[in-house]
Order: sequence, then structure tokens, then C-alpha cells
Amino acid sequence: MEKLVKLQIDGKEVHAPAGMNLIDAGHLADVFIPNLCYLKGMKGFGACRLCLVEVEGMKSPVIACNTKVREGMVVHTQTEKVRDIRRFILDLILAIHPLDCMTCTKAGICKLQEYAYEYELKGTSFTRKKMGYPIDQINPFIRRDPEYCILCGRCVRVCKEQGTNVLDFIGRGINAEIGTAYNKSLRESGCTFCGSCIDACPVNALPEADRWRKGREWEYKKIQSVCLLCGSGCDILVSVKDGSIQKINTGEKPGSAKKYICAYGRFGYDCIEERTKLVSPLKRVKGELRETTWKDALSIVAGKLKDAGKNTGFISTAGIMNEDALALKKFAKNVVKTKNFDTTLSLYSDVHSLRDSQSALITNSDLLVLVGLNPSQWNRVLPALDASIRKRVNRGGKLIVMNSSDTRIEEAAMLSLKGDELQILKGVAKALIDRGLKADKQLKTAVRDAEITEDMEKAAKLIAEADRPILFTSPSLFDAAANISLIKGRVIAVGLESNARGIALAGLSTEGKTYKEMVNDRMKVLYAVGEVPLTSRPAADFLVVQTSHFTDLAEQADIVLPSTTSFETEGTMIDYLGRLKHINQVIEPMGLTKSHRDILIALSKIIKPAIKKPTDAEIKKMSKGKQKLAFSPFVRKEGFDISPHEFIEAVNASVLKGRRLSWLKEALAAVAV
Amino acid sequence: MKVEEIDVNRQIGRIGEILNAREKKRGILIQALQQIQAALGYLPEESVQELSKKLNLSMSEIFSVASFYRMFYFKPRGKKILKVCLGTACYVRGSKNVLNALEQEFNIKSGETTEDLALTLETVGCVGCCGLAPVTTMNENVMGEITGSGKLKAIIQSIRE
Ligand code: SF4
Ligand code: SF4
Ligand code: SF4
Ligand code: FES
Ligand code: FES
Repeated sequence: MEKLVKLQIDGKEVHAPAGMNLIDAGHLADVFIPNLCYLKGMKGFGACRLCLVEVEGMKSPVIACNTKVREGMVVHTQTEKVRDIRRFILDLILAIHPLDCMTCTKAGICKLQEYAYEYELKGTSFTRKKMGYPIDQINPFIRRDPEYCILCGRCVRVCKEQGTNVLDFIGRGINAEIGTAYNKSLRESGCTFCGSCIDACPVNALPEADRWRKGREWEYKKIQSVCLLCGSGCDILVSVKDGSIQKINTGEKPGSAKKYICAYGRFGYDCIEERTKLVSPLKRVKGELRETTWKDALSIVAGKLKDAGKNTGFISTAGIMNEDALALKKFAKNVVKTKNFDTTLSLYSDVHSLRDSQSALITNSDLLVLVGLNPSQWNRVLPALDASIRKRVNRGGKLIVMNSSDTRIEEAAMLSLKGDELQILKGVAKALIDRGLKADKQLKTAVRDAEITEDMEKAAKLIAEADRPILFTSPSLFDAAANISLIKGRVIAVGLESNARGIALAGLSTEGKTYKEMVNDRMKVLYAVGEVPLTSRPAADFLVVQTSHFTDLAEQADIVLPSTTSFETEGTMIDYLGRLKHINQVIEPMGLTKSHRDILIALSKIIKPAIKKPTDAEIKKMSKGKQKLAFSPFVRKEGFDISPHEFIEAVNASVLKGRRLSWLKEALAAVAV
Repeated sequence: MKVEEIDVNRQIGRIGEILNAREKKRGILIQALQQIQAALGYLPEESVQELSKKLNLSMSEIFSVASFYRMFYFKPRGKKILKVCLGTACYVRGSKNVLNALEQEFNIKSGETTEDLALTLETVGCVGCCGLAPVTTMNENVMGEITGSGKLKAIIQSIRE
């Protein structure tokens, strides 16, 4: 695979990996071959012909996107001949294009504009044709305007590859267009409004619905960050102008097919502007919550905490950053001196499963195995995992699904094993051992009596033959699935919240009462951090809620401390694949909000001893788990039976209640009937 | 033929031996669509929905393939299908007037079907009977030399029946 091939592109010597196409090889030497239909990461499609280049020794030009590098190849990308062809193609495209760059939202990053400029085309020499296609704008996310479409097919390919299959080429010849089945609106076509097509489109045919006059690309400051709304923890690119967020794209460069983000991650940022966003501390006076100063609020809370001491409970979500988690643990243990600190993580996982999960990359794996997991782009349970798996499968990877219930992802699977996951795992382990793979004694003994069905045998064969298999498992089945990885492959438990792994590695897990116990027992002070998904007031005597939005729980608090959202704070998190990711602050904190860690540090200065902000070194250290797995019995860990879908909706309630995302829920419900 | 009666393996025949499952399904797609249309006159969304599940091909993909061919219809068609020839010979001899008259009479545009499903009005380019221009076909029958209002009236009358 990694063999290097030497070739020459426009006189420059290039060493490119065998199998690479000429467009990518050109990049290695800073030669940029024009293209409209190529998507980095996908096979060349050959639709636009703009990437034609000349190769010495070949009679006619070849398309660079679908031509592989060969030893000794001599490539010319700018000959008069190919430049003429490109000019002709662009001329044709301009004949069916609106040409309104002066007001076009995409001006500045539009590929057509870029090439028209380069090839000095002010317009077309053909008769211009207006197709008169209707615009689809009955959704608040995406404006689909086929009039601008240049039929490159990029949107079709990304939508297909990730498995949503909404868009396709409709009709043929001069009447060909991009459309949906039965020409319906996106809203009625099963579209999930992930916006992958927005990122893929090189022109203005698929912009965000609200982009009109929200600023041109070159006016935006672009900041790389991470979405913290679910266990996928996707990379995002935030565009900021005049101190507020204008749009969010995937963290990948435009024109790349690599990354996916869902509608929550792309459009959920407007929760920042909702009325429910907290901007100042509140305290309860005569039964009502009223604004107060930080000084007042902190001294009240500090007094209560000093008083309650070990009868204090801290509950938090697992969507807070590493820095906040470490500060919270120190604050609880060393300042308030209580053993009661726990997170929502304990509702769906034990700490060990996430902490001891291994690291791996989906894009590198040739076989993915899903154990008891049901990711779905449609109800947005780990949607990015669903999309990544489907993409991997469409690029030649294989998928095995093991689940006791029906899943939608099994439609992409080569093999779907239905039934009790423990029996399946045992059978597969035994079949692997029977095939002669090495395993330790205990494991061999544990599976001695396992029954091997035909499908288990097939699964074992696939695992045995794969180079880099990864098992993704629900935390409750981690130990059982890890046994397979002791024979072959890697194993990763997937949590529901973005920083579940970071929380587990930070050890923010109770040494006293659990999350559930703290909610139900009568704590002297209960201190909730983040969007804790409780709707009724816990039994506590005094309730402190530290959160960014006026949640159901905040409404019932005695003191509300306004915290920043991830857009207003810098920090780190660890995603489900084990990568330590940096979250950049993209906007200034709104109103009087402070980060979780800063609030806790301020409190510690009053209560004493004062704690410090966790250092980078501390974060680095915690991010490296031990990950030494050993045999453990095939059991399912009990007590983790929450509905992932409901849970994710509950911890993101204030984001989902935003104007746009609530439309999503209604619209999809309407289609589902 | 109903969607549930479609048997992928039987219909694909011997050629199926060298195709994988997905190729097989794509392979019979056109045939399956033809069967649905033969039975129902067009391709109703619900039937295509069923087919989509059965073949594990997405709706958009099936629609894309079907829309490529002019022989498939996605809306119910009229009992009578009238095709006014707009080929050169017919055009010169006034077929546009015939089309306009029919459009007005039934209050539909070319390509549309009346609400009572009595008529679908379409146009074609040369049906090969230029000697009879202007020509219109009704279902499979060719009607030529529609010059006076008499012939047109008779056609309208026969649709109204
Ligand atoms: S928003 Fe997503 S699902 Fe909808 S058409 Fe675009 S890529 Fe497909
Ligand atoms: S809508 Fe955009 S991405 Fe899709 S085919 Fe048209 S130009 Fe290409
Ligand atoms: S999949 Fe999860 S992490 Fe990714 S954008 Fe959506 S909500 Fe955010
Ligand atoms: S990029 Fe090669 S044909 Fe479009
Ligand atoms: S032009 Fe009408 S039949 Fe030939």
C-alpha cells in the first residue's frame, strides 16, 4: 500500500503513494488541478471533465480524478489543449448558470467563480438558458435552488455514501436535474437535514436557508471546535462575524467527503440566542427567582456548602469538558470534602468500560462489529457513528451487527446476528478459537460449551480474515465484547455523551452516593452542573443549579449560576475513539456567564483551600488510560436500561427547544405517520 | 403484477449466476417497474415504496432510474392518451392549433391529465405519417388531416363519452 511512486507533474518531481489519483498527487507538489465533481476521499466520478490533463505518451487527455499515479509518468496540467477544453466546459456551464456573483451567498468560495476568473470568462458565448426549476425552501435549514446547480453530483454522492439517499439525478440530457424521489421537498423525502450536501456543493445550489446577507465567506473568522451534543463529539468549523456565530460546517475542508455532522451540530448553535440562555446569577426570594450579583450568589452557595460538608452531593452531565471535570472532582473532594460526586454517565455505563476502551480509527479498519449498539442518523442517536460506518462500508469495509433488537444499520451489514448478544459473542469466540486463533485458558474454558451457529461461524471467519477489526459495543456488553478483542481486534465502548470517556478517565465517579441516590435521597445541598436531565425537583434541602440555560431543573433551584456554553469556553474533551480534542472558544461569554471551572475556583477561594485551574500537563496525563484488558466473564452489566434517544434529547433539551431544531422534530414526526 | 409477486432470482434467469445480490436487484429493476406500470397504468408512490424495501434500493435511486426513461409515468394516466404531433411536417400544417384547441377545451396543458382521468394530453415529434399531417394519435390509433373543426369535434366528442 505505502509504496511510493515517482512521477513528474508540471515539471515538479512528486513521490506519491501507489494507487493515489493525479489530483491528490498534484496537491503534494502544490499543483492544483481544476475540478468540480471530485470529492477528496471518494473515487473519481468523471462527471465534469474539468480535471483533464495530458500525460506524455498518451494520445488524448485523461481525467486526473480517476487516473492513478504510475512510475515515471510525466503529467502536464496546463497545456493549451486542456486549457481550451476547460474553457469550453466552463462556457457551457455558464450558459445554464444565473451569473449573479454580485449578490451570491457563495461568492468567494464558489468553485465556478474561481475557475471563470482563472479562465477569463465573463459570461457564456452560448445562448443562455433558464430552466425555471422551483426552489425548495419549506424547511428552516437548507435552501435548495436547482437553478444554480451545475450537476456535479457531489451532493448526490455524499448523501448516498452516508446512507441517507435523498438526492439523485433525475431525468436525462438537457432535462437532467438533481432532485428527490417524486420531486418532493426535502422535508418529505426522509432528509435528516445533516447538511452534508451543503458542505459538498461547490456553488450556490445548496446554501443554508438563513444565509442570505449574513455576510460573505471572507468576512468570517473561522474557528475549529468540537460539538458536545452527543457521544460522537464531531469536529466542527464555526464561522463568526461581529462576535456572533453565523454558521457551522464540518471540521473538514470544503470539497472533502470525510466528515459528517448532524443537524444538531450544524444548526443547534442558535440556542445561544434563545431567551432561555442565562446571563446572570439568580436567587430565590420569596418563592421567586430574581437576578443577583455573583458576589451575593457565591457567598450564599459557599455558606451552604461549608455547612453541609459531606452531606453535599454533586451531580453533573458527562458533556462537560475535562478541565471542568477535574476542577469539579477536586472541588468536591478537597474543598467541600464530600465523597458524593457523580455524573449522568452512571446511567448508561460503568467507568471501567469507557476508561479501558481502546483507540482506533474507523477509516483504517476493514471490519466493524456493532455489539448491542443501535446508532441512527434518523433519530440522532450517535448519528455520526452511523454515518461513518456506512461510509466505511461504501468504501469497501465490512460490517457485522449483533443485536437482540432490530436496527436500521443492519441494512448496511454483511452479516446481522439477531439474538442475545452474550450467546453470540461466546459462540463467535469459540469459533475463533476453533479456527486456531490464540486465546488464554480462562477464555477457552468460558466458551467451551458455547453453541456455534452458521452465522457465528461466518462472523468468526470475517473477524479472523480481517486486518484491523474494531468492535463497538454498548458499555453494558463491554466486558463480553472485550473477550473477542483478546483474541483479535480492538474494542471500544461508546458512551452517549460527548465527553463520557474524558469523565471516566478523569475519575469523576462517586466514592459515596451515586447519581440516582443523590437525586432520591435528601441531600443537604445538591449541586447540579451542566444540563442535568431532571424535570422535577430532587429531594434536596437546598438546590444549586449551574447551567447555561434556564432548564426545567433551574426553574426549581434555590440558586442558579449561569455557566458558559462550549462556544464561549476553551477546553478539551476525549472522543469515543480515544482522541484528545481541543475545543476553541469561538465567541465571548454572554452576559455575566463564567465557565464551570471558574465558578468552582471562585467558590473554593471563599471556602478554602483554593483550587487551581487544571494544567495542560494534568489533562495530558489523565487522557492516557491504562487499557490493559484481561478476561472477564460473559455477563451483561445490569441497570443501564435507559432509552438512548430519550436521554440524548433530555440532556440537550435547551438546544433542541430552539426555534429551528424544534421544527425538525415536528416535521419528522409528520413524515413518520 | 403485484410487487410481492416479483421474484428476483427467477426473473433474472441464468445471467444471475454471475451477478452479486445488488447487481441482481438493479438488474431486474426496470423489468419490475414495467410490470408495475403494466398492471396499474403508472408507478404509484406506494408501489415503488414497496419495491424499494424489497430490493433494498432507495426511493431516490429507483426514481432516478425510472425518470431516465420516457416510458415511465409517475402520475395516473387518462383512459385516452392523445399525442399531438409537433414534428416539422405537422407543425407547418398547423398542429399547434390542434394542441391549443385541446388544451383549452379540457383545461389542461400538454403533459397533464384531466381530473376525471378521461384524457392525458401529450406531444410527440414525428410519428412517421407526415403524409397525413397534421397528425394526432389516440391510444394506438393514428388520426390524420385534422384540419377542419369537424374532425377535432369528433375527437373531443369521443373523449367526452
Ligand atoms: S441534508 Fe443530509 S440527508 Fe438531506 S439531502 Fe443533504 S446530505 Fe442528504
Ligand atoms: S446541487 Fe450542488 S453539489 Fe449537487 S449536483 Fe448541483 S452543483 Fe453539484
Ligand atoms: S453527531 Fe453528535 S457530536 Fe456530531 S454533530 Fe451531531 S450531535 Fe454533534
Ligand atoms: S473532477 Fe475529474 S471529472 Fe470532475
Ligand atoms: S411530422 Fe408529424 S408525423 Fe411526421
